[in-house]
Amino acid sequence: MSGTTDEREARVARLNAERRDGARLHFLGTYAFGERSIARYSLQNGLRLLLLTDSSAPVLSYHTWFGVGSRHEQPGKTGLAHLFEHLMFNETKNLPAGEFDRTLEAAGGEVNAATWVDWTFYYENIPSSELALVVRLEAERMQNLVLREPQVASEKEVVANERRYRVEDDVEGAVNELLYKTAFSKHPYHWPTIGWMEDIEGFTTSDCETFYGTYYAPNNAILAVVGDFDEGQLLSLIQQHYGDLPSAVMPPHHFTPEPEQTAERRLEVEKPTPTEKLALGYKAPALSDPDYAALAVLNEVLVGGKSSRLYRSLISEGEIATDVRGSIAPSKDPGLYEIWVSLREERTAEDALKIVEKALSEAMNDAITEAELEKAKNRLELGFLHGMETASGKAEQIGFYEMVVGDAGRIFGQLEAYRQVTRHAVREVARKHLVAARRTTILVRPKPELDEEAA
Amino acid sequence: MTSPYLTNDQILVEESHDLPLVHFQIVIPSGSTEDPEGREGLTRLTARLMRRGTRGRDTRAIEETIDGLGAELAIETSPGFVRIAGSTIKRSVEPILALIGELLADPSLPEGELAQLKRETEAALLELTDSDQSLASMHFRRALFRGHPYGRPGLGTRATLGRIDIDQVVARYREGLAQRCRLVGFSGAITRADAEALAHKHLLPKRTIRAPMGAPPEATMRPGRHLRIVDKPERTQTQIQIGRLASHAHDADHTALLVGNAVFGGAFTARLMRAVRSERGWSYGASSRVGLDRIREAWNMWTFPAATDAPACIALQLQLMEEWVARGIDAEELAFAKSYLVKSHAFAIDTADKRLEQAVEVLLYELPSDYFSHFIERVQQVELAEVNAALARRLPPSDLVLSVVATESELGAQLRETVQPTSTEVVAYDADAAPP
Repeated sequence: MSGTTDEREARVARLNAERRDGARLHFLGTYAFGERSIARYSLQNGLRLLLLTDSSAPVLSYHTWFGVGSRHEQPGKTGLAHLFEHLMFNETKNLPAGEFDRTLEAAGGEVNAATWVDWTFYYENIPSSELALVVRLEAERMQNLVLREPQVASEKEVVANERRYRVEDDVEGAVNELLYKTAFSKHPYHWPTIGWMEDIEGFTTSDCETFYGTYYAPNNAILAVVGDFDEGQLLSLIQQHYGDLPSAVMPPHHFTPEPEQTAERRLEVEKPTPTEKLALGYKAPALSDPDYAALAVLNEVLVGGKSSRLYRSLISEGEIATDVRGSIAPSKDPGLYEIWVSLREERTAEDALKIVEKALSEAMNDAITEAELEKAKNRLELGFLHGMETASGKAEQIGFYEMVVGDAGRIFGQLEAYRQVTRHAVREVARKHLVAARRTTILVRPKPELDEEAA
Repeated sequence: MTSPYLTNDQILVEESHDLPLVHFQIVIPSGSTEDPEGREGLTRLTARLMRRGTRGRDTRAIEETIDGLGAELAIETSPGFVRIAGSTIKRSVEPILALIGELLADPSLPEGELAQLKRETEAALLELTDSDQSLASMHFRRALFRGHPYGRPGLGTRATLGRIDIDQVVARYREGLAQRCRLVGFSGAITRADAEALAHKHLLPKRTIRAPMGAPPEATMRPGRHLRIVDKPERTQTQIQIGRLASHAHDADHTALLVGNAVFGGAFTARLMRAVRSERGWSYGASSRVGLDRIREAWNMWTFPAATDAPACIALQLQLMEEWVARGIDAEELAFAKSYLVKSHAFAIDTADKRLEQAVEVLLYELPSDYFSHFIERVQQVELAEVNAALARRLPPSDLVLSVVATESELGAQLRETVQPTSTEVVAYDADAAPP
């Protein structure tokens, strides 16, 4: 049962009746979420709660978002947020190593986590009957994690293997890392979330302990819970298990903003791949910027579906590439609009670049058509709906928007923003952001085989 | 023997009106195992060519329609079937089904588009060589199903694609895809009544329905351990698939095998993950699975350690498998596996589309009709002795296939030393994409 505002406030008063200060709840209102609403609460210790009940299936998704990502790291210590994410699944004061995962799996739960530039989040998808278990365990590891050298050493090796899998032995992963390294010279988006290998190898247990003590505190966390649960019961459990956690003083986040890019940056690299690749990164607006929506619409016009401009000119009609993709980083600070092209044999990255530049020039000079605008909006709507199909999908969207733009209600607002985009706005956003001077270009050539080199 | 399920058109519907979204699929039980020898890739080309033009629309118009409606569409070819599937915003359901109806009933199969499709496929073969994980899986299945229709390349190779012409494609469409029955499935914001009406109107015209081909013969497991090295330069990390033929959904011990697999590698805290990743940090992932199909399918385990750790990792995996099969699991592990499988089953059915997929699989793979609906009861009834007997019966580790993507010159000798294989093949990673 959820309730009206009055019912919720009455419930909070009852729940607070015998609680100490840190565990006192505050009801902050609701966000509209389609035909439902997200209830917003906070604990006195700063923990923020976003709750959405949905009884369509007897499951729930429990997300914990921390306001720390790779942007909070320092040169020489890159990858710490991500390594720490791995360590959060280890021993606690009350759980031997391995028991956290084992207990939740025995309860039918799926457990995982992700780290990116602006945040780290942890989630469980679990049968709704296991609500009390997941609250207890998540609160336990937020405050009682134990870090020992053998586990740190083992996870460093796991992360090193993950880096090999995602970056060193993966052409696209390696090139994407290089793209950001080159596009950002000062801002923390310069270094990869997984960290440089030498930094991963150099971490100590002390580094991890300091990181935990600094960033893993209730006032730096958001709980987003979606699914089949009783709101009153969940609030009581949260008070019980998180109420005693002390808040921490978050260090000020000093970083150097990225200076304006005024000239193209271009690199040519060789990789063990059979065909050429092209990676482009244009300096792009942040997720909260009004230009983001228009750029998202333009991206659909350029690469969304087989009728898109670049799919036709590069793949179906041009036949010079096998793959073209575009995406805008949904980040707190301005990120990149990336375009990736995988060429066919005997075609060059320069061939693709000419075609991409022509398409962008057309978008700048002539507005897109009404049909293209409508098509882009329909495709964005479809993508939005896909993200809402499961409790986990909804919880992720809620946590993400609260973390990145400070407003979980923005989810539906973002869809509305896409619907409001005009052809004129798309043209203007292309002119403003997609110019060569704001671009980083990486041309990937196949590495000659060793026997060819020998010859 | 032909399937008792696949002789007539069928419509399956799982309603859910939470979101204005509809998923759909049209499955034709005619797949790549029907490609003639030497013309592998024919079914896939035919299915894809259906999308490249109809009597009333060219390929450009088709794609404009799909994208403009806010829909997506994919055509999948597997050994046993072709599936046209996608999703759409609710208000576009009828127009997208009307389009798919045209693709099915009245494709123009243009010869110029066939030539282009073949070029695209050749390019895709080359692109595939960038994915070590795909290479390991593909070569594992080829080695496991050697000499069997399931071991043939559904995508084709450059050589086989070159032998396919438009007359063969037209014949494959007319005699194969057009005349088979169709399983039509809908999930999401559509009522059963609407789904049936639209399916009959657009997707299920009156036509002669030919009986589907029978299931292919059962594959046989070669005795011994067979190593296939997929040779690719400069690998700092390997991809390893190890397994054998194992289970059939109609085996009395099938569920017991699933329970046993959950203990070994079917959960994040299973033995394999603990030993390979948690204790040694050798691989970011380590898991095992039991496959499902009309015929006996594979059990296999997957890891991807650094090249320097690969021989030791393989040795460990083989040792773990031998111990697991020889000694079985214990009561505590049984309790964990049952709890995990029973409780996590909620996530196999938490969306309408997942429930639809289960209904489709029952028909396509000729599963027992209660395979999913009584899964929980069957798991709960499994006993320890049954699990351990199933492991011993279905997974003798003396007979295995190992597929390893690695650099032969750097690792080949160590791999042979570790595995002591009955046979070894070294295959170039780009063999399928090489000119004939």
